[in-house]
Amino acid sequence: MGLQENIREKGVLGAVAAQADDVFTRLTAGIDVGEFRRMMQGEPPGRPNPRLKPHSEGFLLHIKPTYYHESVTRFTHTYRLGLLSTYLFIVETITGILLMIWYAPSPERAYVDMILLLTNIPFGQFLRDMHRLGAEAMVAIVTLHMVRCYLTGSYKPPRQFTWFTGVLLLVMTLFLSFSGYLLPWDQLAFWAVTIGTSMAEAVPPAVVGETVNLLARGAPDIGANGLLRFYLLHVLFLPLLLILFFFVHYYKVVHFGISLPADEEEVGEDTANRVPADKRVYYLPDVLVDETSFLTVMTALLIVLTVFFFQAPLEHIANPQSTPLHTVAPWYFYWLQGLLKIADKFIAGVLLPGVLLVLLMAIPYLDYNPSRRGKDRKVAIVAGIVAGAVMIIWSWMGTPEYAVEGAPSVEIVQDVMPEEGSGLSREIGYKHLPLGVWRTDEEYDVHDHEFLELLHEFENSVDYYRRTDPDFNAPIGILTISQAQPSLKKLHWEITWFDAEGTPGNYEKSFWLHEDSLYWEQYGWKHLFLGQVADGWKSLSGALVGE
Amino acid sequence: MHRLYTRSPIAKIMWGILSSLVGIIVLLMVLVSENPRMEAQTINWEGRSIENGAKMYADNCVICHGPDGQGILGRGPGLNSYYFFTDTGRLRDVGWVGSLEDYVLLTISAGRPSKVESQWPEVMPTWDGKFGGPMRGDQVVDLAKFVMNWEESALAQTPEEDPFQPFEDVIKPMEFQNTAHILLSEEEQAAALEEYRARNVRSPQEIWTGEACFACHNLEERQVDLYGQNGPNFADLYERAGTRVEGMTAEEYVYESIVSPKAHVVETYENAGQMPQNFAEKLSEDEIQALVAWLLNPDREQ
Ligand code: HEM
Repeated sequence: MGLQENIREKGVLGAVAAQADDVFTRLTAGIDVGEFRRMMQGEPPGRPNPRLKPHSEGFLLHIKPTYYHESVTRFTHTYRLGLLSTYLFIVETITGILLMIWYAPSPERAYVDMILLLTNIPFGQFLRDMHRLGAEAMVAIVTLHMVRCYLTGSYKPPRQFTWFTGVLLLVMTLFLSFSGYLLPWDQLAFWAVTIGTSMAEAVPPAVVGETVNLLARGAPDIGANGLLRFYLLHVLFLPLLLILFFFVHYYKVVHFGISLPADEEEVGEDTANRVPADKRVYYLPDVLVDETSFLTVMTALLIVLTVFFFQAPLEHIANPQSTPLHTVAPWYFYWLQGLLKIADKFIAGVLLPGVLLVLLMAIPYLDYNPSRRGKDRKVAIVAGIVAGAVMIIWSWMGTPEYAVEGAPSVEIVQDVMPEEGSGLSREIGYKHLPLGVWRTDEEYDVHDHEFLELLHEFENSVDYYRRTDPDFNAPIGILTISQAQPSLKKLHWEITWFDAEGTPGNYEKSFWLHEDSLYWEQYGWKHLFLGQVADGWKSLSGALVGE
Repeated sequence: MHRLYTRSPIAKIMWGILSSLVGIIVLLMVLVSENPRMEAQTINWEGRSIENGAKMYADNCVICHGPDGQGILGRGPGLNSYYFFTDTGRLRDVGWVGSLEDYVLLTISAGRPSKVESQWPEVMPTWDGKFGGPMRGDQVVDLAKFVMNWEESALAQTPEEDPFQPFEDVIKPMEFQNTAHILLSEEEQAAALEEYRARNVRSPQEIWTGEACFACHNLEERQVDLYGQNGPNFADLYERAGTRVEGMTAEEYVYESIVSPKAHVVETYENAGQMPQNFAEKLSEDEIQALVAWLLNPDREQ
């Protein structure tokens, strides 16, 4: 109907309303305003059901099923973990693209760009913290999603291939996180990735290992080429691959339908796609409202965590000439680091992870038990729990707490003033470090509580190694604080001791601390909680380790 | 567990609205705290840069410039020094028009071009990898930030506290270098210069090397090396000089050729403009006379 005719028939207002309704219907791919109102008021759809139209005519909804079985829409069935994984990937894409504006992948620029982002870009730190937190959360959520699929037996026929593509997605998620790890080009990044890629070197035969290593690093050692390669992997190759496999994965999910709770169907049967009419929960509007509200809550949670509780670390600029004392992998690779402490590079870094990965992919094909019910799957569930426990133990072995390697004197200084990160000395900061000579074998009448705490920690640390190391006798720790420059203090740590034969030993290390340096995460709103959280965590881990 | 999750769409929508509000409020909180946060971050990273510089300085620079930047006698100049930081001090004496930080950056990066007869036994090395040194660019930047952090203490020094060692590479008489903050007038400077020259007469040999005459001229005949190719050869100067210009003695000719090099250009040496034009100011009358006599002496000692 032409506009003029329309106006003649309905008057101006009526014509405008009709036009608006038309636009609304096109945008929603088939839902007009009246249907939308009925939907919101909880009324049933008319017949034929106009609420199916957006699924057939709209691009965005064509990949979504039109209805679900009531039982699988329960939160406690899927915990929305697959949805959340997808959403986190989208969050990472958006924050990642924004971060790319201020980042250039070269050793001369990368680290400086990080600092510029933190110092000169409004919301720069927020973006960086959110991207980092989102990445770590994605690893965790994808893993939890896998655990739930394992526990509900959802990998069983016909969903074996869904599981298989899921494992590929997990691997890609890990590689995505890890490739992003290098980009800030700080010591943490550089050495974690150096160690990570060096495992590739252990692939036999030597030619292959060396070639793989060379391809990843772009040179025998990580440098400008390696950084560029990791950057391209991170922003282009892996995301595209992940998107591709996500659609394969999700296509399979929709194709087979989400598996019903095991008790609701016969063993060996799969009725997910045969949903009785009275059990149908339509995507529009019920599931849409559910998913949107869930993701809104998760977004708010992510923002709150980012703003108040999380700070992405940035250590000293990458220095290929100096390996930091305790290089640590990101937490999701602690288990690998733990393995590397007890086995050689080939076994721990290549063979075992490879075997584990193949086993993980092969689970649907190895587990011939047709039942998905918990009580029929005792072996599988116990095996899963054992595997989880082993992972946790390996991970614990991967933390620096396990098998501390350094000499006592080195560890003591590392304890109170580590090379990287803050340590108590930097936490209490410039103004709580009075000039003078402070010895662990003397008592001081100081009124500054924070400084007293530092002296005590120094004493305790020296004493701990005196008790535990027979080669560390009658140790004395001396801290000399002097004014190096205006607003710059020098902290000179000296440890003297006698070994078991009575030979004296001596260790010295100096650090400088500027008045304006804030090592203890105090930017924006983080000071509100982060300090307390860290204190709580420290006393908790202290209690656990028993110090 | 089933209770954990509500099925009511109204409750879900309420949760959605509530958390949108929370998200927006928190983002607004970030917005209002962004400026102070960026400021804190800016000085924080400046501070850390200075800390890094302090370590580089302790590892590389103390042996010549001293642990507190006070310099080491006869080895390296003081940096924590009034003369170094004041506008009318070192920067003016070397004729640097940029900022002091840039001057520091340049000197650390590229070192000091070696000065023959310099008072320092060893030249300042180049540090930046770009110039063949051992450091990365960021390390040099940190080091410069650390040196610049002495500004406050240096500018608070009295002339007596200034750990100053006179420089021999500037025209200004050494006695007057450390009085930069007194600001001499033109006449006073000229008088001081005169007096300084009278007391510090250099031998012809010292001038020959110190002013780098050897770079373009040769004292011996047909010497095949890099130097002494650009200007006339002086091996037979005592024979040639008297015959060059009608009515001029050998002494007059050589004297004039030193103070105004373009006056009598020897054929094929059209590039006489390359020779410094200011020897009349740099050398005293006595020095020039002695130099002329030495150049014309067939038995001169080198
Ligand atoms: C980037 C990573 C991943 C994304 C984005 C993703 C996404 C999804 C989504 C949206 C679903 C729908 C059901 C739900 O929300 O639980 C799903 C189901 C499923 N996923 Fe994933 N997934 C990922 C990784 C994995 C992994 C690592 C595994 C297992 C190794 C896996 C195995 C499965 C299985 C078996 C199903 C079917 C569940 C059922 O039918 O009950 N997925 N996935």
